[in-house]
Amino acid sequence: MTICSLGASLGGIKEGGRAYHRMMHLLLVEDELEIQGFLKTSLADAGYVVDVAGDGKTAEGLASAKCYDVLIVDLGLPDQDGIDLILRLRQLGVSSPVLILSARRSVDDRVRGLEQGGDDYLTKPFALAELLARLRNLLKRKASAEASPTILRVMDLELDLLKRRASRGDEVLSLSPQEFSLLEYLCRHAGRVVTRSMLLAEVWGMRIQPDTNVVDVHIYRLRGKVDTEGREPLIKTLRGVGYVLKDR
Amino acid sequence: MSSKTDRVRMRSAAWRISLGATLAFAFGTSLVFAGLHRFVANDIQRRSDAWLSGEVEVLGDVAERTPKDRLYGRVVGEVAELASKEVPDKLGSGSSENGSVFFLQVGRDGSSQLWVGAGNGQANLSAIRASKIKPDVPFHLQVKGFDIPFRVASARMDDGSSIYLGLSERDELRVLRNLRIRFLSFGLLIILFGFGIVFYTTRRMLGHVREITEAASRIGRSDLSSRVPTTQYNDEIGNLARTLNTMLDRIESSVHQLHTITDSLAHDLRSPLTAIRGKLEMYLSSGVRSEHGEPVVSAIDELDRLTEFLNTSLDVAEARADALRLSRSEMDLDELVRVMMDLYEPCMSESGLRMQLRSAGAVRVYADAALIHRMVANLLDNELKHIPASCTIVIYLQVEKDVATLIVEDNGPGFAAEICSQMFEQRVKGEGSSGHGLGLAFVQAVVRAHGGDVTASNREEGGARLTILLPCALPNRAEGILPAAVMAG
Repeated sequence: MTICSLGASLGGIKEGGRAYHRMMHLLLVEDELEIQGFLKTSLADAGYVVDVAGDGKTAEGLASAKCYDVLIVDLGLPDQDGIDLILRLRQLGVSSPVLILSARRSVDDRVRGLEQGGDDYLTKPFALAELLARLRNLLKRKASAEASPTILRVMDLELDLLKRRASRGDEVLSLSPQEFSLLEYLCRHAGRVVTRSMLLAEVWGMRIQPDTNVVDVHIYRLRGKVDTEGREPLIKTLRGVGYVLKDR
Repeated sequence: MSSKTDRVRMRSAAWRISLGATLAFAFGTSLVFAGLHRFVANDIQRRSDAWLSGEVEVLGDVAERTPKDRLYGRVVGEVAELASKEVPDKLGSGSSENGSVFFLQVGRDGSSQLWVGAGNGQANLSAIRASKIKPDVPFHLQVKGFDIPFRVASARMDDGSSIYLGLSERDELRVLRNLRIRFLSFGLLIILFGFGIVFYTTRRMLGHVREITEAASRIGRSDLSSRVPTTQYNDEIGNLARTLNTMLDRIESSVHQLHTITDSLAHDLRSPLTAIRGKLEMYLSSGVRSEHGEPVVSAIDELDRLTEFLNTSLDVAEARADALRLSRSEMDLDELVRVMMDLYEPCMSESGLRMQLRSAGAVRVYADAALIHRMVANLLDNELKHIPASCTIVIYLQVEKDVATLIVEDNGPGFAAEICSQMFEQRVKGEGSSGHGLGLAFVQAVVRAHGGDVTASNREEGGARLTILLPCALPNRAEGILPAAVMAG
């Protein structure tokens, strides 16, 4: 496995974030100081402007006074239930998408309901990379109407989404449909870290946590086809975090 | 489907009860009627006997006083004829001509001296001779040539002859027959009416019971918050419903308590885990060199395993208490297993294992997708961890009578004998197993929570077999599921 310089790669995310969303404003509603602290730092590092509220009341005041691009709301607030806060904010006319953080064991139906309304949720503990990816998704959904490309290009790698054909340089890669989907997902997130659970959820459509290295073997095989000898390796493994497709 | 058979069963229970009640009612009424019939018959007989005795006395008197000359026959005959016109309970006219009454005087030598009635009286005479006669007590006489018996009273004359006055029992029998016909028709009507009422009432009652049963089983399967329907009556059924609801209140509150405990436990553990994981990730991203990052990476891995362990433990604990929260939707097991096999195939072939699926097509179940995903992943993880290279895993998928069967077989070493009996216990694992011993306990928990069953055994040919039975769907969703035969997939 290739372990590239971790710092450099994650640094890449930050810059990617900065380039993509210029000064996005987030409201973080979280009462645990430890979590609040590291989230604020990491979000700021990723190029977001973050306001923090420690309880529902403060959050309500902030959200109704200022227009945030995304709200990150923890469900277990000291003064009220996170879902009630979200519903209350919706009533007040706050339409920003919400990323729900839940320490509850099962995702209850109310959260699912919100998810269908365009919001998203993450269960604790989560990978930072996944939090950032979901944030980007929400922001993209908000911007929406962005014409989805039919051809993805990363370095000399090219994916034709209509013909389901992948090529590197002049060489056409023979990929299975599964491998193509995997590579497509990596390309769409080129330069950013994707975690195993993100791949499982997005490529295979399941939120599971296998305690065997099933995803790693898929990546290993894909790498064998994409990063052939004599070419610059594109797919990097960030141990403990996930993978990244190098975009420069 | 099952609610339909329930309905049939209930209907037959109502049917049985009404049939029993009706039979008892019919039996009782028949007894009463038999008594009544007997009483009426006796009364009629007593009245006709009294008439007979009176008339025979009068006739005897007349016969005695009338001189035995040529006119004797005519005089006694006229009197007898007259008497026959006063027959009690007479129905219709001209009964004497039809032989409803006869008068016979028999001489000392036993020959017929005088006969008044239909025919020549020979048959009557021989019948009287053949029967034992108690003097002064009317008796029963069956005469040859007559369908209907006679009631006969006798009197002995001073000259040694006997006179007999016979009255046909035809009228008596007719009265009794009428009584019987009326009773039968009225009785039948009443019984039918009673049957109708009993059937309707029991069916209504059992209908309530059925509603309660259906509601209770629905509650058992899905949500604890709904209640069985109650009636406003304070009868047994109403009490049953109220008692069930009180019981459900208690169960709901203890389940709720369990959820609160597991939720707060999960919350209290997850918050620090989140903080630790986040800080480790931040440390990684702060530009450490890879050799320094290695311990952090493995710490993150360990944290993820700990989280998974925590989730699974709590799921198993909740499932053991029948309190696992399911969020069901319709899903296709066949599709899921295929996707899972795609996911696991590279990993399996790296380990030198082969996988085969034998399924006939879509297997729709109404289940919690997330839990079923984790369950199947668990089964495959289990295989991956426990069987040696060059083994084959065969997955069978089939539907039979609304039960989906998922069988996972391998030709590996099979389950170790010492853990075979307690395979599904938490923390039980084979020697040298690296897992945390929750895999199969979790599988069982998920299957049970869905109302299914799981069994583990060793195959005769060697290797392990896990059989999972899952009910296909909720009863009202059972339509459109076709049973599929096992075919090579």
